[in-house]
Amino acid sequence: MGRFSYKNKPLGLYLHIPFCVSKCGYCDFYSVTDESLQKDYVSALLRHIREYGAVCGGYTVDTVYLGGGTPSCLGPKYLGRILQEVKNKFPLSDDAEITVEMNPESTDKKVLETLKKHGVNRLSFGVQSAHDDELAAIGRIHTFEQAKQAVDLAREKGFDNISLDLMYGLPGQTQERFLDSVEQCLALGPKHLSCYGLKLEPATPMGRQAPALPDDDEQADAYLAMCEMLRKNGFEHYEISNFARPGFRSRHNLKYWDLSEYIGLGPGAHSFMNGRRFEFARDIKAYINGEDIVRDEDEVPTFQRQGEYLMVRLRTSDGVDFLDLEKRYNIDSTPYEEAFRALMGQELVAHRGTRWYLTEKGFLVSNSIINAVVEAGQPEEEQK
Amino acid sequence: MKNRGQIRNFSIIAHIDHGKSTLADRLLEQCKAVSQREMEEQLLDNMDLERERGITIKARAVRMEYEADDGQVYEMNLIDTPGHVDFNYEVSRSLAACEGALLVVDAAQGIEAQTLGNTYLALEHDLEVVPVVNKIDLPAADAPRVKQEIEDIIGIPAEDAPEISAKMGINIRSVLERVVSDIPAPAGDGDAPLRALVFDSQYDPYKGVIVYMRLMDGRIAPGMRVKMMATGAEFQVLECGYLLPLGLSPQQELTAGEVGYFTASIKNVADTRVGDTVTEAGRPTAEALPGYRPARPMVFCGIYTEDGSKYPDLRDALEKLQLNDAALSFEPESSVALGFGFRCGFLGMLHMEIIQERLEREFDLDLVTTLPSVVYEVKKTDGATLFCDNPHDYPDPVLIEEAREPFVKATIMTPQEFVGNIMPMCQERRGVFKDMQYLDANLVELHYEMPTGEIIYDFFDALKARTKGYASLDYEFLDYRKSDLVKVDMLLNGDQVDALSFIAHREKAYGRARRICEKLKENIPRQLFEVPVQAAIGGKVIARETVKAMRKDVLAKCYGGDITRKKKLLEKQKEGKKKMRSLGTVQIPTEAFMAVLKLDEE
Repeated sequence: MGRFSYKNKPLGLYLHIPFCVSKCGYCDFYSVTDESLQKDYVSALLRHIREYGAVCGGYTVDTVYLGGGTPSCLGPKYLGRILQEVKNKFPLSDDAEITVEMNPESTDKKVLETLKKHGVNRLSFGVQSAHDDELAAIGRIHTFEQAKQAVDLAREKGFDNISLDLMYGLPGQTQERFLDSVEQCLALGPKHLSCYGLKLEPATPMGRQAPALPDDDEQADAYLAMCEMLRKNGFEHYEISNFARPGFRSRHNLKYWDLSEYIGLGPGAHSFMNGRRFEFARDIKAYINGEDIVRDEDEVPTFQRQGEYLMVRLRTSDGVDFLDLEKRYNIDSTPYEEAFRALMGQELVAHRGTRWYLTEKGFLVSNSIINAVVEAGQPEEEQK
Repeated sequence: MKNRGQIRNFSIIAHIDHGKSTLADRLLEQCKAVSQREMEEQLLDNMDLERERGITIKARAVRMEYEADDGQVYEMNLIDTPGHVDFNYEVSRSLAACEGALLVVDAAQGIEAQTLGNTYLALEHDLEVVPVVNKIDLPAADAPRVKQEIEDIIGIPAEDAPEISAKMGINIRSVLERVVSDIPAPAGDGDAPLRALVFDSQYDPYKGVIVYMRLMDGRIAPGMRVKMMATGAEFQVLECGYLLPLGLSPQQELTAGEVGYFTASIKNVADTRVGDTVTEAGRPTAEALPGYRPARPMVFCGIYTEDGSKYPDLRDALEKLQLNDAALSFEPESSVALGFGFRCGFLGMLHMEIIQERLEREFDLDLVTTLPSVVYEVKKTDGATLFCDNPHDYPDPVLIEEAREPFVKATIMTPQEFVGNIMPMCQERRGVFKDMQYLDANLVELHYEMPTGEIIYDFFDALKARTKGYASLDYEFLDYRKSDLVKVDMLLNGDQVDALSFIAHREKAYGRARRICEKLKENIPRQLFEVPVQAAIGGKVIARETVKAMRKDVLAKCYGGDITRKKKLLEKQKEGKKKMRSLGTVQIPTEAFMAVLKLDEE
């Protein structure tokens, strides 16, 4: 592996592993359960890694993220080959953050050892809840005990940078039970936590069943209580749904939130490179057959990028610095600032100098705030 | 030469789904008035809305020829009637054009609701009522019981009433035979001056207004100069003829006893009012037919389009509807919250709903309507008198010397057992009891003087609900009376919403204000800030609710760099916002606005 100068532009690399042992009722990510496709899929992915690696010469890949689906269920052989190919074909920085998403039921010694060997230095476990009845209700096929064992095993195998995924707003979930899940997860010693509110997507089995969820007030209260608990335990709340101990923010995910460049390979994966977004079809067979990008975005007008920038920045606790915004897009940020000022006095937004950000209460209603702010800055003719 | 003895003019009285329209279709078939191919189901109700609601809105008439068992051919004129108190007057005019009525009763359900009111109306007009028991094909049919019921409740012999199934086409001829044998032929003098009753009119883009009429005396023919006795309008008759199921059939002349139409290039239905008498201009009849009542709008509301740019379409649509509906009035108005629209006047709530539905369906408009109101009379301190149907125009209390509200004379007919249910209801609506008369051992007529504002909203429905549908209601304008009226303004986040203001009697204002506050609270989506919802009289708040601030509107996950998806979601939200109306600082979706304006459905 060669050395690359940091003059090169940084690049994130996302690899989608669209396989799951079984589909969870709420999940809207693209994956299939047919294992017989794994071999062909891995070949197609390796081919893509070679192709894209060849055109990324001016970049240095400083984060790699294997997401899914369930990457861990691909098994050590394929995972090893994929990671090896990435190393061979992409200009990877020495200190690259390499994350793999894991599910408890498919975490074993062999997989962990393989990942370690190939330089994976961050694991993200889908734990979701510490209560087995809640896990069953959303279609997870593991117990909390299995999750615990998986995390312990990972630590035993030398993984220290461990993130756990949790969910709130599950059917029938009380705040008390949710906070209990948070506490039990904390006991596993993670460096990072992602806590997502369950959203019923129409195209999923749970979306169709539409079970009763805790109402907005209950969910908001649970969220705020969780934020409080994590703060007390030394976590920084650095994005709407993400918490980290100092120094352990997800560098890969941060790229999404400051419009840095990344390439995503695999069906349903998204890329943002050279000012363009593109994505691959959510169809594993098409992907295997080499049918390529399905949606390639046209050049977008600057004001739209500005809107995107605000949209992603406002998800973070750092928020958006208007000086930075003005420099980046060569605009006057006054209308945006006015939109923020109109929201003051309700503990939704705050600012330090020119840097404006959402409070935790603001995070909870971020869609409305982002819309109000973005709209304020749109050119007149666009508002029609 | 026509023989008046062979004419039969009749209508059909029936409860909403007891088979009036189906029977009418069968009668037409039996008389071969329409071929099977032309037989559209329920031919008589030719407005979509009527078919769907199962009610007849405008009166219709149709002529058919029936070869009876006695070998003679009879001219049968079936005049259909609307079935709601808003149109009671139209019903009474239609009945006045007949000598008899078929009373159709469901063999399983027995006598119900509307039937009774219209039957009484028919009896009042001295019509021969012929009972018919329909739906004998139903398993639950019990003809003997229903016949007994007819005799007990209405008090007309029903023992040998035809037992039929209009749906299956059973015994249809027996109905026609009874029409021939029981319903008298029209009286009238063919040589006397023309005297005809207008029972409906319809605008046709080619012929102008088509006037539906029943000739009582005399004759009418093309070329004759006729005069409308109430409106004073005069026309030269261009065409007259019969109303056949599938269209008009021009004739040389129509004579006393017949039912038909005439046209005279009449531009405006307002000139040909229902109930008016048509006579020959040069040889007028001495006396107009009794019972004419000018159409007087009782209820007013603002009508707006959801999309403000459709305002001209709304104006065109209202103009077109007015061609056919002299009772509809409208003039432009504007509202801060709703933009440009029209203040429209209606006979009553059903009339209002029908117009709204027709505007939406036939003209494809999405409407927003304001709370309905009656016309108040305000005497100001400067001596001027103001008629006010729009809260917006209601003067400041300090400028009012005396406020008056309209009263109606309400006549309620009911089986005696329900009197105890009705009286408290009228009292609660500020009705003044006048008297009570026993029409027979069982049937009672109650007379009340009631504020129009109390009767128009839901009184009719409430009356039906408390009398199992047996009571009937008629009302007519009486006078204006001094009243303790107040104007209530609604405030959202401190800003007044003009379209939601209303005028009411002080006693009623509080309850209504509270209900509107509650409805607003239910229907306004949470905003980023807390929104106080208040009702106020002058500066004084009389009711208050709070729409709590929005707590959760967040996309928790950013889907592995799928910015597009989030962007789309936000754009969708933004689209949704465009459909919102800004009421001051508060955004509310139009549907919510409409839910609030949809009045008091307790």
